[in-house]
Amino acid sequence: MMTPDRLDMTWIVLIGLALATILVPSVVPRPLLANALLLAFAAAKGRRIVLDYLDLRTAPALWRGLVSAWIFIVLMFAWLASAAVDLI
Amino acid sequence: MWATECEQEGTGWGILEDLPGDPMIWVLIFSELAAFGLFLGAFVIARVIHPAMFASGQAVLDARLAGLNTVVLVTSGWAAARGTKSTRAGESRTSRRWLVGAMVLGGLFVTIKVFEYGGEIGHGIGLESSTFFTLYFLLTGFHLLHVCLGIVILAVVCRRAEAVLVETGTAFWHMVDLIWIVMFPILYLVR
Repeated sequence: MMTPDRLDMTWIVLIGLALATILVPSVVPRPLLANALLLAFAAAKGRRIVLDYLDLRTAPALWRGLVSAWIFIVLMFAWLASAAVDLI
Repeated sequence: MWATECEQEGTGWGILEDLPGDPMIWVLIFSELAAFGLFLGAFVIARVIHPAMFASGQAVLDARLAGLNTVVLVTSGWAAARGTKSTRAGESRTSRRWLVGAMVLGGLFVTIKVFEYGGEIGHGIGLESSTFFTLYFLLTGFHLLHVCLGIVILAVVCRRAEAVLVETGTAFWHMVDLIWIVMFPILYLVR
């Protein structure tokens, strides 16, 4: 039997996070917390894709940082906007 | 070591040569990320302006179907990554099998998305129903076009299964995967 390598582990983590993301809105009633959780899950999934699928784990920090920053900025902006809607 | 490091040393791409695949694909990837980032930003701002309209529009969407598509696309990404690994190990036939698997799953993503569109259109929803649906159809439609283009690119690189080509094709595919991962909660789940 083949031992799972990093790619397999990443796939398992991504599937787990994808299923958890779908469950969050029905399990967590508070929108602000639910939004934070599911956007954090998206960030974690994105980071695994960047490191292991796009294979930037051993690339220069500049490229890894740029793509990771894109994920963080878009998701953080979405969360801040949802918080603003919640507060208004 | 990436194939580009071995085969393209000193080709004039500067620091882009440190990335897997053809450096040109990374110019495209960074451009696409910027475009989708701005587009998603516009969606988020529109939601702040019209919260009730966006909440009612989101309630009509089938988040479970989109969640299933997330599972399909990350599995496709895994198959593509395995294809790249096989190519680097010199296993062209194995690589082709993984890439075909990635393409089939990409086709399944397209099928599910078209089915989802069918349900929405069946409910009388269209591009001009509201600002929410205009942005929803444009964002997901633009992404769907990239999925179709990604399948074509994978089919092209699959024929020769050379390391640089496969790295280039799969880098585009993983970008498509990454954009969906970020787009899915923003469009379907954030309340």
